[in-house]
Amino acid sequence: MEIQMKMPDLATTGSDVRLVRWLVSPGQIVKRGQPLVEIETEKAVSSVESIATGLLKEVRVLPGGMVSAGQAIAVFEVATTLPAAADRISESAASSLGAVPMVLPHYKRAFLLSLYERMVLIREFEERVRFLFLEGTMAGTIHQCQGQEATAVGVCSALRANDWITSTFRGHGHALAKGLSPQELLDELFGATTGCCKGRGGSMHVGNMDQGMVPGIAIVAGGIPLAAGMALAFKMQNSSQVVACFFGDGAVAEGAFHEGINMAALWKLPVIFVCENNLYGASTHISKVMKNTRISDRAAVYGFRGQTVDGNDVVAVFEATRHAAADCRAGNGPVLLELLTYRRIGHSRRDPCHYQPAAEREAWLSRDPLLRFATCLEQQAAISAAELAEIKARVDHRIDEAVQNAKKAPLPAVEALYEGVFG
Amino acid sequence: MKRLGIAEALREAIMEEMERDAHVFCIGEDIAVPGGWGGAFTVTLGLEKKFPDRMIDVPIAELGFFGVAVGAALMGMRPIVDVQYGDFLFLASDQIINNAAKLRYMSGGTAKVPLVMRAPIGATGRGAQHAQSMERFFTGVPGLKVVAPSNAYDAKGMLKAAVRDDNPVLIFEHKLLYGSRGARAEPGATDATSDIPEHDYTVPLDKAAVRREGSHVTILAWLLMLHHALAAAHTLATEGIQAEVLDVRSLAPLDYETIGASVRKTGRVVIVEEGPKTGGVSAELAAGIMERFSESLVAPVTRVASPDIPVPFSPILENTYRPDVPRILAAARQLTLPCAGLERSPLR
Repeated sequence: MEIQMKMPDLATTGSDVRLVRWLVSPGQIVKRGQPLVEIETEKAVSSVESIATGLLKEVRVLPGGMVSAGQAIAVFEVATTLPAAADRISESAASSLGAVPMVLPHYKRAFLLSLYERMVLIREFEERVRFLFLEGTMAGTIHQCQGQEATAVGVCSALRANDWITSTFRGHGHALAKGLSPQELLDELFGATTGCCKGRGGSMHVGNMDQGMVPGIAIVAGGIPLAAGMALAFKMQNSSQVVACFFGDGAVAEGAFHEGINMAALWKLPVIFVCENNLYGASTHISKVMKNTRISDRAAVYGFRGQTVDGNDVVAVFEATRHAAADCRAGNGPVLLELLTYRRIGHSRRDPCHYQPAAEREAWLSRDPLLRFATCLEQQAAISAAELAEIKARVDHRIDEAVQNAKKAPLPAVEALYEGVFG
Repeated sequence: MKRLGIAEALREAIMEEMERDAHVFCIGEDIAVPGGWGGAFTVTLGLEKKFPDRMIDVPIAELGFFGVAVGAALMGMRPIVDVQYGDFLFLASDQIINNAAKLRYMSGGTAKVPLVMRAPIGATGRGAQHAQSMERFFTGVPGLKVVAPSNAYDAKGMLKAAVRDDNPVLIFEHKLLYGSRGARAEPGATDATSDIPEHDYTVPLDKAAVRREGSHVTILAWLLMLHHALAAAHTLATEGIQAEVLDVRSLAPLDYETIGASVRKTGRVVIVEEGPKTGGVSAELAAGIMERFSESLVAPVTRVASPDIPVPFSPILENTYRPDVPRILAAARQLTLPCAGLERSPLR
């Protein structure tokens, strides 16, 4: 998609500035922050930095020309800078995002395959769980994450084994991405003692303290101050660990979000705040609950870095998280990542999801994170469809086994009702 | 041995625990400002000089900083979080009730939250939003321990026990019992000083204490009301009524062993609570006593509590609102009248 760069207001007197020369030619790739153009104000000659990473498509002012603040000076074609969520509601907007190809950096083949396998595992796990509920095999409710596999896998793959995550409901994908086994998750959903929370947590509270995942905090935004506190502990313990805190767009209106990110910013805590912006809080569209739908903008007002990322592009999410984690470890945290994605299933088990416009759904389904990654792997990494099919078969087999085991998993003894309240 | 007030005893406990364990830290509003207050009631005064990295001042954001404390506790730290007035616990209650108290259980017993929370309460000339008795809102929360020390010895020992406990512990402190000095001193304060030994000690978090022995009636109270109950017992003794006064002290869990021993002895119970009567801790105590010890009761359990209204400001109204010695005396006398079961169990 195209974005325009406007002349920032650099002249203290409000007068126009003179464009001296372009430092980059049309057709060249520029990075955000790279000096783009030299200008002369009444005080000095200085340069203006690019606001975007992408292809410089067109310059609108020639050397020697006078420019006013706010005047368009250049046009970029960008893949990584996305419009605010509200701009993506229409079918055409989503389709144009879909046309932006994923770009594969030079990763090792094994790593690419591991990303893909983890995403397939989440998709197949969630689909199987959906049918287990339809069968009536499972109790309780579920909040599923089909279509959001790239956010969980992209973020968790960029973390170290001893880093932590906090999650919220819709956390099955986070758990699988962090390394919890499908068996311990399924057992938990079946309420078994062999579940990751011994059957005391259930779908909304999956986690494993030995795998670096706090049980899911199912109160919207409740995990945000908590993650800041975990990061405070890391800082006080002189540890290099970071915590990635997952939450949804709905959490941004909660006081806990603002209180938590303010303290994290104030104390430069190593937290990556990961907002999975899937456009819906329960049944309510984001445009009904916030005026500024670009969630990453919240970071700047609290004095830290925010970034909006294509959340259906696992590579983009991985790269953004890798940089965020490096910033956090260097003492330059926190970072707010807004990952743009879409909730393609109902909010919870009994929600038929009738409120999503058909055109919006179609547009977003065409941007399926798994299909996009598969296409990218075939076209750019010479990975064959047969290899990808093998992965899916392996995952299917693993889940088949886990389901069979979970159906036989031991339920808690009723005498154990009181265990684990205090320790 | 030295004589300390509650604020000083708590300060000493915090200092000793921070010296003993590098994981202990304090977090709260106005707790570590050089030249400042040391929290609203001087408890942490000067500790920032000794522990500059472990005394953390926070924005006015109770939900946020209680959450920060819970998160730090989950990762192995032992935070002592300070709220200026107990009334502000409502803001923090999501983190206290949904996270701190439940994470261990919902993780199948694998997560632990060794968190200490300190909250000043009590009607003290501040009107409706800075003077409520908050105990009732937290004593029915599974996973939370709640204590309320009424003297400096207990305050120090219970805070130390709370820091060493692997569960979240909420400590209610009474503004009129602190013995805070200087600009933060409270008018009308009650003496709650104790002799504090030089050696390290803790006070258990699940035990009531018999403060005065007697055989005619049991008076249960905590915090400021305990002091009023003792004063009432003194007067009752001059009338020939021997009251046994229990400092309930541990509000969750309630120590029915100690309470039961006293109820079996006296057969009569007066429960004194500073907060409103409806839905209070005294209601829970009354029900718990009747469920367990009804065969020992010779008269109905009686409660002395505030009326069901917000805490009023005007001193004349506040003094009428808050239970006092005359009201405790009236309840005890009523219970020990001949018509109150004396035929079955005469005064001994």
